[in-house]
Amino acid sequence: MVRKIFHGKFMRKAILWSVLGMGALYLTACSQGGRPVSTLPTGSGAQTQSTDAPGTGGSAIGFIFVGARDDYGYNQAAYIGSEAVEKAFPELKVLRKENVPETAEAERVMEEMIRQGAKIMFPTSYGHLDPALEVAKRHPDVVFFHQGGLKTASNLGTYFGTIWEPVYLAGIAAGKMTKSNKLGYIVSVPIPQVLLNINAFTLGARSVNPNATVTVAFTGSWCDPGQQANAANTMIDAGVDVLTQHQDCTKTVIEIAERRGAMSVGYHADASSLAPKGWIVGSIWNWPKLYEEMVRTALDGKFKGSKFDGKYRGGLKDDVVRLTGFGPSVPEEVKKLVEEKKQALLDGTLHPFRGPVKDQKGEIKIADGEIPTIDKLESMDYLVEGVIGSIPK
Amino acid sequence: MIGELLTGAIRSGTSVLYASAGELIAERAGVINLGTEGAMVAGALGGFAVTVWTGNPWLGALGGGICGALLSSVHALLVVWRGANQLASGLTVMFFGLGLTAFFGRSFVSASVEGFNPVAIPGLSNLPWIGPILFRHDPLTYLSYILVPAVWFVLSRTRLGIVLRATGEREEVVFSQGFSPRLIRTFAVITGGFLAGVGGVQLSVAFTHAWVEGMTAGRGIVAAALVIFAAWKPFRCMAGAYLFGCAQSLQLVLQSRGADVSPFLLFMLPYVLTLAVLFLVERRRQSRIPEELGRVFSGPGGG
Amino acid sequence: MSNLQKSDPPLITRTAVAPRALPIFRHAGSGLRRLCRMAAVTVTPLVLFALFLLLVGVRPFEIYVAMLRSSFGDAYGFGEVIVKSTPILLTALATALPARAGLINVGGEGQLAIGALFTAAGAVYWISEWPGWAGIPVLAVVGAFGGAMWAAIAAALKQYGGMNETITTLLMNYVALYTVGYFVHGALKDPASFNWPFSPSISDSLRLPVVAGTRIHIGIPIALFFATMAWWLLSRTRFGFHLRAVGGNPVAAELAGLPVTRLQIGVLIAAGALAGLAGMIEITGIEGRLRPTTGATYGYLGFLAAWMARNDPLRCVGTAFLIGAITVAGNALEISSGLPASSMHILLSIVLLAILASGRRERA
Repeated sequence: MVRKIFHGKFMRKAILWSVLGMGALYLTACSQGGRPVSTLPTGSGAQTQSTDAPGTGGSAIGFIFVGARDDYGYNQAAYIGSEAVEKAFPELKVLRKENVPETAEAERVMEEMIRQGAKIMFPTSYGHLDPALEVAKRHPDVVFFHQGGLKTASNLGTYFGTIWEPVYLAGIAAGKMTKSNKLGYIVSVPIPQVLLNINAFTLGARSVNPNATVTVAFTGSWCDPGQQANAANTMIDAGVDVLTQHQDCTKTVIEIAERRGAMSVGYHADASSLAPKGWIVGSIWNWPKLYEEMVRTALDGKFKGSKFDGKYRGGLKDDVVRLTGFGPSVPEEVKKLVEEKKQALLDGTLHPFRGPVKDQKGEIKIADGEIPTIDKLESMDYLVEGVIGSIPK
Repeated sequence: MIGELLTGAIRSGTSVLYASAGELIAERAGVINLGTEGAMVAGALGGFAVTVWTGNPWLGALGGGICGALLSSVHALLVVWRGANQLASGLTVMFFGLGLTAFFGRSFVSASVEGFNPVAIPGLSNLPWIGPILFRHDPLTYLSYILVPAVWFVLSRTRLGIVLRATGEREEVVFSQGFSPRLIRTFAVITGGFLAGVGGVQLSVAFTHAWVEGMTAGRGIVAAALVIFAAWKPFRCMAGAYLFGCAQSLQLVLQSRGADVSPFLLFMLPYVLTLAVLFLVERRRQSRIPEELGRVFSGPGGG
Repeated sequence: MSNLQKSDPPLITRTAVAPRALPIFRHAGSGLRRLCRMAAVTVTPLVLFALFLLLVGVRPFEIYVAMLRSSFGDAYGFGEVIVKSTPILLTALATALPARAGLINVGGEGQLAIGALFTAAGAVYWISEWPGWAGIPVLAVVGAFGGAMWAAIAAALKQYGGMNETITTLLMNYVALYTVGYFVHGALKDPASFNWPFSPSISDSLRLPVVAGTRIHIGIPIALFFATMAWWLLSRTRFGFHLRAVGGNPVAAELAGLPVTRLQIGVLIAAGALAGLAGMIEITGIEGRLRPTTGATYGYLGFLAAWMARNDPLRCVGTAFLIGAITVAGNALEISSGLPASSMHILLSIVLLAILASGRRERA
């Protein structure tokens, strides 16, 4: 009886469905208009130039983003970088995919881009690291430039900017401009990069204003406007008058601050046009120059042994991270102060995290006079004195 | 602190309140629409888009409501006229709405709107204690204050309301009076979708002034759950919506006070609270379910 | 929802003897009618989607061809489809089985996540040194147990609180998400990952064996096995018959002496176990560690697959595969044509809407 079902109805249905499916395809084939879509290139995988140097010989460059561009934030900064690459290397096709989750799904996406001819990949979110490492293992001829990662491979280098430098400077400005001595930081989840920023901001603010406190709100999401609006409004109700954030999309918080008469400090992107009255300053990435340099290095076959073959961290002095312009309401003496401190940073006479640095409980986390390594900074798991908020243990 | 909590509760809860009121109307007529989430997000995008194009947030509110109504009409069509399973249809409409808005909303992520801004009602907003809590919100929130009494009034004191409720309780009676239960149900679902859409508009054009895909984050589902919690009574819907808003707000207030609780437990709070309240209330209220709706839950496969 | 079909016998006297398999269609009489109906259900979504594509300025035929090519054009693509379909199939079963008993379980997402959580915790803290042949089956049980426990909460709420499982399972998806977040940021955080929120990698010995050159792991035969088991259980055992009876007419079933509530709770827990198993397979087969977003969207895709298959376990295999193919193809599309992934969600929704609109009763 089982057999009958399988060969009888089942089989007939299967044939019917496939015939109908073919018919549907023919129907839609008769449609007109629209721009043609590039189907899979016939040359994918056909030419295997066995070169020694990874990154050479490709026809495309791949970028994967964890969110959508146009978010006035993280992904937009990376997207702008990809556009610069497109302009600088017109002979190469730039492949992009947004909203790539930080799971093994990312592997699939990268594999697809490689099949479409990419020999240089830019996975731009931290969570893309493990998938990228897997794909890197399978494709030694492809160069991976991962943003923010802490592990590397022979054909995978990570890059990032010491964004906490301009964030520290922004903290100084905020500390000077606040009237209520209450600053607010809206963030998503307590990962090291986030804690690092909060701490840099706090240290900067308290270095010029020991009474300043920074209230932290975790929203649990990198871009949930509802949560952001909630957090911003709650903070302002509680007396916070300078808001900043570490979110992928930054528009909402800045606009709410502006509407309610609070000041804002930007992050990821220059959103000063959104806050003509309240904008103090912001910290942004400058990927275009860096990306072009990286692509050029890879195309020339010089990746191995270059400064990008490993953990590359560009700083203020390399112009990989920048401070935006000041808003119109910032007084001259604050601008001068920040400029002085910036110069000291560039000279090396000032380091935001030079010890002693104490955490919220008063324990010394960075010893007196010590300058922590990048690794130590990028694995930060505590909040410094002056921060109101707690992280899960 | 209570003041902050309550203000926050109203801020976060208003969008849920609209959706909940809309869903109440539909469920009283005997149809459950889990696609409310889709209608909300459609309204959020529709309202935001229209506001961007026209600069007028009221047109945006109308546009958003219409978008929500349109999406819910798909649900009404499937359930009332094609006999589809209500729960499955609702969820599918939800996915559909989420997909459509994600697709068409891409170009609006960086757009800015003037939108609805908080307007302090002169005089009332200076009342001691309740003034700042109730009367310093945006116009759509003020509308929501009168929405619930209006819904209650229509449902319990007008002929339309009686017919609607009868459709949900004993449709044969309605049929014998010369009305078409099908039409009434369709109307109820579409109205529910309209209100959910307005709730979405409140979220995007009044509360956050932003559009991001999926920004409703489950509010529509919670709204549907709240209707059951509220035993299908309008004023309890209001309470439930504000309770949810309160839980969301509590999470932030606790954080800003430096409470040593893991943020993740706090994130769970609104949903766990909804479940807990549903549990406590459900047991006593089960008998009050509109009969036709009850058949949805206990009938053959819910169809 | 009862339509105004006066020809329907009143609820109470509808018998639940045989599944309403033949005739499936209420109105269909001839084979030609059935053919037309099937044609409509298959072609309409494709046409509607083609119209949608035209609206946004892309040529539909090329899109469809590109989709076919990327999913079936080569071994790697096909392998990816299989890999993607596996958890979808299991979560589809997790929806389909309760649906046959009249319940709607939308909690596949959360049950999968908790199953993954248990698996990761077990693999890291309990049996990290075990060899594969012993460890993997244990992890399977652990993962299934996690998912089952999560579903049991919803089942208990139904039993003792009378709460409808659709709403509870939906809400619990969010709770599951944050529960995973809680552990991944805390107790389960990888000490070697510079404080980033994921679990340590599970040891290689505990990973599922893989077909060389692809990512195809033995999860797929496991899933197929369970699909067949589910089919056999439903159609060939008395337990399955009781389940279908409850799904067809719970009132009559109760009158006939069947322990309706117990059956429903049982099938809900079993569904949770299946979804939890999917979570285990994701961890041991693909991911290798637990992340905050592990398994996202699989639950909902499984739901779609189940309803497209009209809750028939064997058909679930086909629809899960189809959805997997569409999702994988969607990836390639976005990269080559800029069409975002949400367009695939639109396609899948249209297909399901067409099925719902066809008016066919789901098998109950």
